[in-house]
Amino acid sequence: MSEIAIIDYGMGNLRSVQKGLERVGCKAQVTREPQQIVSARGVVLPGVGAFSACMENLRRFGLVEAIREVVLQRKPFLGICLGFQLLFTESEEFGPQKGLDLFPGKVVGFHPQNGLKVPHMGWNRIVKKKESPFLQGITDGDYLYFVHSYYVTPADVSVVATTTTYGTSFVSSIATDHLFACQFHPEKSQKIGLRILENFARFAEKG
Amino acid sequence: MLIIPAIDIKNGRCVRLYQGEMDKDTIYYESPVEAAKHWVEQGAELLHVVDLNGAIEGHPVHKQEVAAICMGFGVPVELGGGLRSLEAIEESLDLGVKRVVLGTAAYGAPDFLRAVCQKFPQKIVVGIDARYGRVAVKGWKEDTSMDAVELAQRCEIDGASRIIYTDISRDGTSLGVNVEETLRLARAVRIPVIASGGVASLEDIRRLKVLEKDGVEGVIVGRALYSGAFTLKEAIAVGAAD
Repeated sequence: MSEIAIIDYGMGNLRSVQKGLERVGCKAQVTREPQQIVSARGVVLPGVGAFSACMENLRRFGLVEAIREVVLQRKPFLGICLGFQLLFTESEEFGPQKGLDLFPGKVVGFHPQNGLKVPHMGWNRIVKKKESPFLQGITDGDYLYFVHSYYVTPADVSVVATTTTYGTSFVSSIATDHLFACQFHPEKSQKIGLRILENFARFAEKG
Repeated sequence: MLIIPAIDIKNGRCVRLYQGEMDKDTIYYESPVEAAKHWVEQGAELLHVVDLNGAIEGHPVHKQEVAAICMGFGVPVELGGGLRSLEAIEESLDLGVKRVVLGTAAYGAPDFLRAVCQKFPQKIVVGIDARYGRVAVKGWKEDTSMDAVELAQRCEIDGASRIIYTDISRDGTSLGVNVEETLRLARAVRIPVIASGGVASLEDIRRLKVLEKDGVEGVIVGRALYSGAFTLKEAIAVGAAD
């Protein structure tokens, strides 16, 4: 078994994710080799940009199957921002775009109203909806860093780990027994974010 | 040849300046995101975004607008204006910016340019703004005695992935591109050069298209597109012609 694989599908800067994991003492490899992803100890799916462009790149680099496989195999998995949204059935961004469909649910947009600026950008608080090893040491009201215009609406509410309010209350992370996926950026959320990365790294180490 | 629409942001709006003068601006879109949407629908493959307030203040000001453009369309964004620290560059790349354009930072601090080119390979573009062949810096407020070609060669050695050459005596004027200076610069370096400043008509695109073999890979178009001198589709067709 090797280290943590950070999936590189040409969407955004992966350096901060890698740096964050390194800071919590974790070896992380940036890769787009399906073999390396499938054999990693844990997998991180980051992502910024447009949903459709991300899906297109995942397809182009032949990564859709590898991601499905690691999630279905219950390998430790961390999805960040668009890497969180992509796990769902579809996004309404540019009229429905198919996602990886590993979790039933839609990705919908914020509606700018009452001076609400989109994208939602900056620090915001989370409210915990359940306990999870991925959220050890994290408490209600902790601030995390967000940059997004869309948010997920899971069909199965039992996966919801935290919510956040921006105009409306939205799901800011989900957790299962092997997977954590979040709308916020732990790698840019200083101490609290590093704690989440550390939780993930520890979990992946145990296997 | 790549036709790259420019989206210059001042006080949250999409504007064009006349010869880089902050108070000689024309507002074309209330929202830069709307401008981006328009160009993407017309077939843009790359957007050139400039944070004008950022350029003046020395640090990014319109992060939200930039993030919205990066997230909105799946079309790569090139960003310039006020990117003078490693943190500012990294933050922009984290927002999804494809590559960043450095001006003052590259001119004033070669060590810095070398360091960021090493850290972010293929992500760093140097924007050389010149008036009559001489480099201008600090949001175009100061002229220097440095020759634009010499600076381009130095930036190539320091690791820049490409050069954007803007003739600011022409920018926003629609007086026509300074083809001669662009060619002189493109021939002096091996990295690709993007021409900018003063595109007035499809004839300018045609003249630049001839320089593709000399390393001119694209052209940034601003006012001519916004004022409707020609459409982006027409320009793309000319840029793609054999």
